[in-house]
Amino acid sequence: MEIILQTIANGILVGALYGLVALGLGLLMGAMKFLNIAHGTFIILGGYISFWLFTLWGIDPFLSIPVVIIAMFLIGLVLYRLALSPLLKLPNIGMRIDTSMLVTFGLIWVLDNVMTMLWTPDTRTIMTSYTGETFRFFGTRFSITGLGGVGVAVLVAIALYFILIRTYFGKHIRAATQDAEAASLCGINVHRIYLFSSGIAIALAGVAGVIVISTYSINASGGISWLLIAFVVMILAGEGNINAIIPAGVIFGLLEAGSVLVVGVPYRQAIALLVFIVVLMFKPQGLFAKRE
Amino acid sequence: MLNISHINVYYGDLQALWDVSLIIENGEIVTLLGSNGAGKSTLMKTISGLLKIRTGFIDFDSIRLDRLPAHRIVELGISMTPEGRRIFPQMSVLENLEMGASINTARKVRKNTLNGIYDLFPILKERAKQMAGTLSGGEQQMLALGRALMSQPKILLIDEMSLGLSPILVQELCRVIQGINRSRKLTVFLVEQDVQLALSMAHRGYVIENGRIVDQGDAKLLLANTRIKEAYLGIGEEEMIN
Repeated sequence: MEIILQTIANGILVGALYGLVALGLGLLMGAMKFLNIAHGTFIILGGYISFWLFTLWGIDPFLSIPVVIIAMFLIGLVLYRLALSPLLKLPNIGMRIDTSMLVTFGLIWVLDNVMTMLWTPDTRTIMTSYTGETFRFFGTRFSITGLGGVGVAVLVAIALYFILIRTYFGKHIRAATQDAEAASLCGINVHRIYLFSSGIAIALAGVAGVIVISTYSINASGGISWLLIAFVVMILAGEGNINAIIPAGVIFGLLEAGSVLVVGVPYRQAIALLVFIVVLMFKPQGLFAKRE
Repeated sequence: MLNISHINVYYGDLQALWDVSLIIENGEIVTLLGSNGAGKSTLMKTISGLLKIRTGFIDFDSIRLDRLPAHRIVELGISMTPEGRRIFPQMSVLENLEMGASINTARKVRKNTLNGIYDLFPILKERAKQMAGTLSGGEQQMLALGRALMSQPKILLIDEMSLGLSPILVQELCRVIQGINRSRKLTVFLVEQDVQLALSMAHRGYVIENGRIVDQGDAKLLLANTRIKEAYLGIGEEEMIN
């Protein structure tokens, strides 16, 4: 019984992080139809920024989040200007998705090498005074950093939901997502909306990176495995269904934690891919797709 | 007010508009007649900035329009309801209308404008919270018109309003449009397949064929023109004699 409760707890902790990891990817894909293969690499970059702030100035990773958000937001603006906005001239959405994959795939190699130069190929983590500490609740252990990660994931998801539903800016994002041409006929500057959405998407990757480096560890070429997780969670949630991403992450986390019980740790990644294939086969519109 | 002068517009290498010139004066209702593929929608899209011209120019109150992006043209006071309505299906009716008031000047007074729109189309108020995609075709057309009016335009471009709507509904929409034209001096430029309807509403009309303006004049004179009767109303010479 205890082990099952512990498995569920682990699943929720890791699942919330998986949701957080997928938010930026889902936003960029849902709102603009850019499939950012370098998303995992941006997560790593966010982790390194937090690592720098911690080792150089001793800033706690959770307190470094605002700085990471601003830095990554600016990087997102540059990414849009240099690499993504030219793709909007392509004649159709399919070509935009395909080409954005190629462009961001190339970007992985650039970023990987830049990060290796700046931070060496060593695996890095952040060891705070509370890293590894746990919190006991009815015999179930929760790691402090894991709980912090859940808190951050939930806060970020709520903030994003609030922006998209309530603010004029968020409504403009949704309008541009549904019909970019009609949005521009309403007087919406679609390019500016895309620019800021790209900034937000990359900032979200940065926040995820902070949680990743404080609960796990990172190295310069470790982005791909996080991309894989983000991708599976995005498909589970259903493309364009940003509000379902955190729940989808938790479901995926629970599945993964459960699979560790059944088949053991080495096959965890295989389970991830299996879930991905099964969902694509039977429910390609995602687990949370609304019936039209 | 709106002065289109000798424009040539291309889709890639394919020329769609040939040396088109057209003038719309303040307070007028002007219609553009033509068969499918004649270039009516192309001209509308060009005015609203979705298509770029290769030669010629478009002036609006002596400001050059043709180099501006679509959202800047809305700011100058030109609003369009596109063909097929193009509402945002997964946003509520109210949110759709709010999107119409995206430009700064309109956003400040959107509450007032919104009440004005609800007076014109009371059904939109009843359905304010409903997803726009669930509306009937007629309601969607009202929403598209309301959304375009939310930006408080000086000139309203309407592309194929009557498509797929019942004659009674079309009559109602026409009354509303003529009403705002008269009461608020709103200039209207209207593309319409239903020639009879368009000419009964408009003060003046232009006829476009194969991307060229071939005829223009007072709406009543165009309606009496035998060539137009034959081409668009399906009334031949013989029937006229009988």
